[in-house]
Amino acid sequence: MSSLDRREFLRYCALGLGALIGGPVLAACRPRPSPTPAPGPSFTPIPASPTPGSPATTPSSTPSASLTTVPEYPHLAVARGGEPEDLVRRAVDALGGMGRFVRPGNDVIIKPNICVAYHTYEYAATTNPWVVGALVRMCYEAGARQVRVMDYPFGGTPEEAYAQSGIAEQVRAAGGEMEVMARFKFVETEIPEGLDLRQCAIYEDILKADVVINVPIAKHHSLARLTLGMKNLMGTIWDRPAMHRNLGQRLADLTSRIRPTLTVVDAVRILTAHGPTGGNLDDVRKLDTVIASPDIVAADAFAATLFGLRPEDLSYVRAGATMGLGRSDLENLRIAEV
Amino acid sequence: MRKGSLSRIRRPSALWLRRGIQFGTLVAFLVLLVAARRGGAPPSLANLPMRLDPLTTLAHAIAARVLLPGSALALLTLALTLLFGRAWCGWLCPLGTLLDAVPSPRSAVRRTFPETWRRAKHFLWLTLLAAALLGNLTLLVLDPLTLVIRTFGAALWPALERMVTAAEVAAYALPPLRPAVEALDRLLRPAVFPVEAPFYRAPVLYALVLGTVLALNGLAPRFWCRYLCPLGGLLGLVSKVGLVRREVTPACTHCGACARVCPTGTIRPDRDYASDPAECTMCLECREACPYKAIRFPARPALAPMEAYDPDRRTALAALGVAALGIALFRSDRFTRRSPLIRPPGARENHLTARCVRCGLCVRACPTGAIQPALLEGGLESLWTPVLIPRLGYCDYSCNACGQVCPVEAIPPLPLEEKRRAVLGRAYIDRNRCIPWADHRPCIVCEEMCPVPEKAIVLEEVTVTDATGQPVTVQRPRVVEERCIGCGICEYKCPVSGEAAIWVSAVEG
Repeated sequence: MSSLDRREFLRYCALGLGALIGGPVLAACRPRPSPTPAPGPSFTPIPASPTPGSPATTPSSTPSASLTTVPEYPHLAVARGGEPEDLVRRAVDALGGMGRFVRPGNDVIIKPNICVAYHTYEYAATTNPWVVGALVRMCYEAGARQVRVMDYPFGGTPEEAYAQSGIAEQVRAAGGEMEVMARFKFVETEIPEGLDLRQCAIYEDILKADVVINVPIAKHHSLARLTLGMKNLMGTIWDRPAMHRNLGQRLADLTSRIRPTLTVVDAVRILTAHGPTGGNLDDVRKLDTVIASPDIVAADAFAATLFGLRPEDLSYVRAGATMGLGRSDLENLRIAEV
Repeated sequence: MRKGSLSRIRRPSALWLRRGIQFGTLVAFLVLLVAARRGGAPPSLANLPMRLDPLTTLAHAIAARVLLPGSALALLTLALTLLFGRAWCGWLCPLGTLLDAVPSPRSAVRRTFPETWRRAKHFLWLTLLAAALLGNLTLLVLDPLTLVIRTFGAALWPALERMVTAAEVAAYALPPLRPAVEALDRLLRPAVFPVEAPFYRAPVLYALVLGTVLALNGLAPRFWCRYLCPLGGLLGLVSKVGLVRREVTPACTHCGACARVCPTGTIRPDRDYASDPAECTMCLECREACPYKAIRFPARPALAPMEAYDPDRRTALAALGVAALGIALFRSDRFTRRSPLIRPPGARENHLTARCVRCGLCVRACPTGAIQPALLEGGLESLWTPVLIPRLGYCDYSCNACGQVCPVEAIPPLPLEEKRRAVLGRAYIDRNRCIPWADHRPCIVCEEMCPVPEKAIVLEEVTVTDATGQPVTVQRPRVVEERCIGCGICEYKCPVSGEAAIWVSAVEG
């Protein structure tokens, strides 16, 4: 018979496949730096009932410790005027610095809004890349073991969106890692405090990370009116269309399960119409503002005012405040303008 | 055979060189095909194999009445053939290599087929070119490269992806394996496999077509190359004027060893073991098999005699007749009057059916799986031309990969800004099924997804009475015709189950 016989062909194929699969598998078997044996007390947002029945997320939070420290810090910080990186640093420093949220050895996930691959950051459809880069740098400065940045875009592929937004470049420059969210890591998760959404497929690593920093860009959205911190968490779940029914309550339910450690609202540029995808510079306003708060509800409530809206105009802010996930009574909050 | 392979190992030969080149070419071909996905290899590299194919290039030039500079590469293959006959078939063709890997009955138990069967492939390529002259390229579905690319891109590679994903999911369930699975997945996605795997229609059909071609080896080795391959036939005719070709010296003892190993069965005992250069793939098996070193491949320019099965005037006339009749039949098909297919950006205006070589590279390049090979929805004439099926994938507003990778510019290589304005169709809302229209419940997914800066879908807030008699305020979507580009993301993302409540209809013309 001519040429390669079947046996040889298969042998070559097996060799090639073996090399392809064996390499990474072997590489992955090398000892990894073990996670810190006793994770430091992760910060718990203001009234925050610690999430019961979720051993994966909250590593032995010590409410007493954080309650004693809370009065020292403002509830929310707003930095206005300056370069994005500077805005982030001022806002987070006003809250007590990144060291308050990230402990040495922590595994940190930063969740920006990278919803589409269509435009560069100037169009304000995706989070400002320097805001994200600054957060990565600050996490490492605080001693983070690993800082990963991820989102699940709905328009275009993740890799393209990561690149087009400019976020990939800034994150890599800061030493962070862009993670493409793997389909098989979305796990069905109970939401014990959920009033409407009781179960949902959530990205497992978001639940397991020591620290989740939520970095939405403030922009227009037809159903939610604005997409801010709580709406940004939709990028961590698989079945997003299901959220649209009773969106406000479901976003609050989802927030109750994820409870990001820190929310940083990027309002360097805001998108005032035709969101969330954008594409028209006439809809963009440059505010050079960054809002930071461990209280996601407060952050969203304050961000609403940038658009001339009241906190209670946003259904998810109302639902979140009602559930006790945070506060929207801005007039009673300690707000640091820096 | 096994004994033979042992002795071959001891004595490295030209056969191993050929096998190495065959295997390397096949691997390179598949790697390029994997990398043809948007974001992978540069498009001009990804479509290089197609541009080397003289049959698709010639047929395209005739049908489209245009010479593309990028297709000049096919002259290389032609030059190779003028020098070494059908070496393309024996050394380079990926389908040929696959066929060599499929077992065949040994010569002792093999049926012999009439030599005249070899004419079928000539009839095929002549019909193909005659049809091209009349503006039709449907028969290019039988080109060996298009056959492999289509099968691989729309069936085998996605199937492999599913297998790997299943293995990943299974392994991920075991905690000790998780780091390994994660590391593997980071390597594989998005570099090798897409993050969100597209779906294809009728992958089993593609696999069956290729499977049939391979299975024909059960009748005779390289059955496809001997009797059917239109590219092989064309190269065979060119080989009649080849330079290097097989020659039997007087040392031949008529033992018949060469005839037994010849994969294309062109060594004729009744002609002193001479062969037809148009059928010889220069595989060198006979040279190795000959115990008397009686077979040489000297360079000697000469015109090989025509064989009984070679194309003659009658074959050409018959091909022309069949092509004319076939096309007339296509033209009386209802699809000619109205063809409601959504085509890749810019392709409709570009007379796609007369230009598309059916290679399926656009299918492979499309990151969302929106582009699918047409089945029969556009009639047989449109078979395996690219169509967009929005329920399976949308035309990504940030992507123009299909036009870049198309080897013959049947999908024009539009710059991204221009492609964003290319109108594929327009969206219509089915108010009987749309959630706010029919059920008075909130849903704005189509508006949210619409990538057009001004939004081609606008929402109107109205207060209506719901089923319980309560007034409810809903936002009802409406399509702004002059803004809609027909990208189909609204249809793709519409949360209504089954058929979407918003769907894109192609623009006529």
